[in-house]
Amino acid sequence: MSIYILHVLIMVSLYAILALSLNIIVGFAGLVSLGHAAFFGIGAYISGLLMIKGLGFVSAFFLAGILTSVLGLCLALPALRVKDDYLAIVTLGFGIIITLVFMNLDITGGPDGLVGIPPVTLWGKPVYSKWAFLGLTTAILFVMILSAYTLKQSKIGRAWAAIRDNDVVAMFMGINTSYYKVLAFITSSFWAGLAGSLYAHYTAYINPQTFGMHTSIMILSMVVLGGIGSITGSILGATLLVLLPEILRPLADYQDIFYGALLVFMMVFRPQGIMGRVKITEMFGRKK
Amino acid sequence: MLIQQLVNGLVVGSVYALVALGYTMIYGILGIINFAQGEIYMYGAFGAVLTLAATGELGLAVMAGVGTACLVGFLLERIAFRPLRGMHPLIPLISAIGASILLSSLARLLFGPDDRSFPIEFNPVSYTIFGAAEITGLQLIIIGVSFGLMVILSIFVNMTKHGKAIMAVAMDSDAARLSGINVNNAYVITFLLGSALSGVAGILMAVYYNATSFSMGLLPGLKAFSAAILGGVGSIPGAIVGGLVLGIAENLGAAYISSSFKDAFAFIALVLVLIIRPRGIMGSRK
Repeated sequence: MSIYILHVLIMVSLYAILALSLNIIVGFAGLVSLGHAAFFGIGAYISGLLMIKGLGFVSAFFLAGILTSVLGLCLALPALRVKDDYLAIVTLGFGIIITLVFMNLDITGGPDGLVGIPPVTLWGKPVYSKWAFLGLTTAILFVMILSAYTLKQSKIGRAWAAIRDNDVVAMFMGINTSYYKVLAFITSSFWAGLAGSLYAHYTAYINPQTFGMHTSIMILSMVVLGGIGSITGSILGATLLVLLPEILRPLADYQDIFYGALLVFMMVFRPQGIMGRVKITEMFGRKK
Repeated sequence: MLIQQLVNGLVVGSVYALVALGYTMIYGILGIINFAQGEIYMYGAFGAVLTLAATGELGLAVMAGVGTACLVGFLLERIAFRPLRGMHPLIPLISAIGASILLSSLARLLFGPDDRSFPIEFNPVSYTIFGAAEITGLQLIIIGVSFGLMVILSIFVNMTKHGKAIMAVAMDSDAARLSGINVNNAYVITFLLGSALSGVAGILMAVYYNATSFSMGLLPGLKAFSAAILGGVGSIPGAIVGGLVLGIAENLGAAYISSSFKDAFAFIALVLVLIIRPRGIMGSRK
């Protein structure tokens, strides 16, 4: 298989992790976030910097996840005060502020970005092979899918669903809505931080533009395109939106026009997303 | 120094306020955020700049700019918003984001990736006020036009039949329909008004910064959106106050704290205000 196809597959798996993590906020808990790429970027910068400073990959990887979830907590606190469209603009503002911080700090390399990030090392050996890296990202994606399924079925997932459907009623049912909203942000940003770490060590170079609003919107589009709240949908959405620019490469100038038109078209004709409300287990499994 | 920054903030803030009025009116009546408002602003500027370059007549150019903005707003309402009425707020939000990407990349294709300067130069007269600050003739025109339009809008909404119809639909669209108001017409008028205001704002900024480009609408659009929310979305005085507060906060922050974080101050102010007043400065609790 050519290097190019491997690269595209790695990107698909990374964006699938990102889309699934955003789906926890948007799909499970019913909150809007237009700043998800900021978490992706924070994970990437933290992990990259830690490894440049001499830390091993495994500890840098998990520290990236944990520190990003601390920032997720910071965003969740104002998010508790505001709802819907207000939340959309607060998260969007958060994303812009974080991008400006990356641009202006010395330690992050400013607008030029961070260069010379070491590759992933496992058991003391650096991993250069794209095959091995694809294996790693797929394994992490698999863990993410499993934990998303488990979360969705658990007490936490049911609490999120209750908040999503009606948070006042959820409160009357005795659910601590603030706690579960914060938990959604922390869980989601943890996974986005992990995805950021993988991305940083994969590309060896990161810059602030990668983590701007355009990426946030792309991740949100993946979730919505696939179907809000659907796990298979998020993976499908990520696959489509990563592959689409590759397929449309010959039409480079028209790519964004097509991308924008696709979003409008989807919302007008199939707003529930491709997999919305129809679960893959129902498509292939027993009929009711 | 302080007064100078306040004057500069007032100029930018009054333009934000114009765009924010568009956001707030559309939100008030339809309950959706028109994410593509910044792109309407950009098309308004291009309509004026291209007409002026071709004909050399300023009046005609302004009319063409406002016309282009209205046309884009009208098409947006028809294609991207009308079919989505009554759905979960996330759905029209995504549709608007899609429309915004579509419109800005179309503009890059049509008008090219480079900045264009404004075809005619304005006489650089300036006046000294309060003994400490300078205000140029152009800045006075921008403030004057903005506030004039705000007054006209307030009169339109509160005094005329169509304006009252818009207010009625914003309060309760079913009751408005039962009283014989053409709800679809009210939606279209709201979109046209919002687009016209954004178009004027785009033209003013194209003159002020002497630059028109396909991406010029992005940040002012987002900041005006913040201004609308800061003031309390749905409230017309709120949008004006929000725009001015944001413009002034941004200029003071850039002057006294750090100019490289200029674009961040608007959003930091927004987050701080929302933590204290979750529905904005003038927002009412529904």
